[in-house]
Amino acid sequence: MNIIKLKGISKHYHAKTALNGIDMDIGAGACITVFGPNGAGKTTLLKIISGIMAPTEGKALYNSKAYSESDIKKETFYLGHKTSLYNALTVMENMDFVCRLFSFKHREKSVESTLREHGLWERRNDPVNDLSQGMKKRLALAKGFITDPKVVILDEPFTGLDIRWRSSILSKIKEIKRQGKSVIVSTHLVEEGCELADHVAFLRNGKLLFINKREEVDTKEIYRLFDSTGEARI
Amino acid sequence: MSFIGNAMAILRKDLLLELRGRESLSLMLFLSLLLLVIFNFALNPDKDNVSSMASGILWVIFAFSGILGMGRMSVAERDEDAYLSVIFSPVSAESFYLGKALGNLLFLMIMECFTLFFFAILFDFEKIIGLLPQLLPALFLGTLGFSLVGTLFSFLSTASRYGEILLPFLYLPVVVPVILGGVTSMDMILNEKSGDAGKWIQLLAVFDMLYLAISLLVFRYLIEE
Repeated sequence: MNIIKLKGISKHYHAKTALNGIDMDIGAGACITVFGPNGAGKTTLLKIISGIMAPTEGKALYNSKAYSESDIKKETFYLGHKTSLYNALTVMENMDFVCRLFSFKHREKSVESTLREHGLWERRNDPVNDLSQGMKKRLALAKGFITDPKVVILDEPFTGLDIRWRSSILSKIKEIKRQGKSVIVSTHLVEEGCELADHVAFLRNGKLLFINKREEVDTKEIYRLFDSTGEARI
Repeated sequence: MSFIGNAMAILRKDLLLELRGRESLSLMLFLSLLLLVIFNFALNPDKDNVSSMASGILWVIFAFSGILGMGRMSVAERDEDAYLSVIFSPVSAESFYLGKALGNLLFLMIMECFTLFFFAILFDFEKIIGLLPQLLPALFLGTLGFSLVGTLFSFLSTASRYGEILLPFLYLPVVVPVILGGVTSMDMILNEKSGDAGKWIQLLAVFDMLYLAISLLVFRYLIEE
């Protein structure tokens, strides 16, 4: 069953077309990795899927309802290029704030178990400003997962991370995938992206070149597409 | 949680942010003190003319210190896109707006009390402290209008790269009725002028309601890209 359906989505910024006629169905519990060179429209697509950006043309449906009438924002965790954390607040205060927004009854318990699970309990009283980039990303994920979202949207979650943090974040994403949530990830990292995906999509110049099942896509083809855009492959 | 409960969670977070970061209220207090000293030296007021200048000086200080503080509060939301935590939650845009406006109102009121206190000392004008109960309605309604519009415009302006610079240019023209109402009603009370300060206070209340209604309607669209 499709949880999200995009029909003919286009986005124009003045004269520039960021997305052009995108059709996409996202199944409940599916994981889609969106590849594409810089400027292909990945971030715009993910913002539209999450509901924080409206398309210029086309329709986006969540559980067969138009976004404006649906619960997409209540049931989605979106992590963009920034961490969505309050840098001046401590780890604990950031988590507590989210629990208050979601009216958690046992806030302290939930925060403690989530922070322990993500290896952040020892740093609970540190301001976010004092954390490394990898820890901030981990905290951002912890903050999203504590709310038990149905849809998880991650825009380049591995950017700026060293190999240790990259594999740590990768295993966290796999874990949420196992929990049956719908996951949409954009990345340049072909190996990691393919490891996660049930479906693979490739965007170029705002157009969806393909969206296929993982097993139907050869990673060499993805590398070739990256190479043909003149962008260094990773 | 209720509409008000959600707004209180936002307010609580803003108080914590100020406690940890000291980026808004402390800057407002510092600027207001600085402006008081500058006005004191520049105008060299004496006992006879201070009451005629007081209202104007105070509202200039409230306006500029307030813009600075409200701008900083919005920057804290836009930094790292922290406001997305609220967007992707069951909290409505209206609750979010109300919580932010209450936070701004609280910080503005603290700044105004601080400014009035130091104004009385620096300008040797203790009379203003005695008149506080009469001044309070004008002061509160003016500040409420300030924070209602300021919350909206500071959020709007920080979406742009030059946001904090743009804020006064966008904000001040819209908030002119509040400044006029505040200055005039306070001036009437301080100088025991004939005229009806009450009418100006009623006008402030009408503008506040108007600002609140418009802000609640449009804030939802401001936080979407």
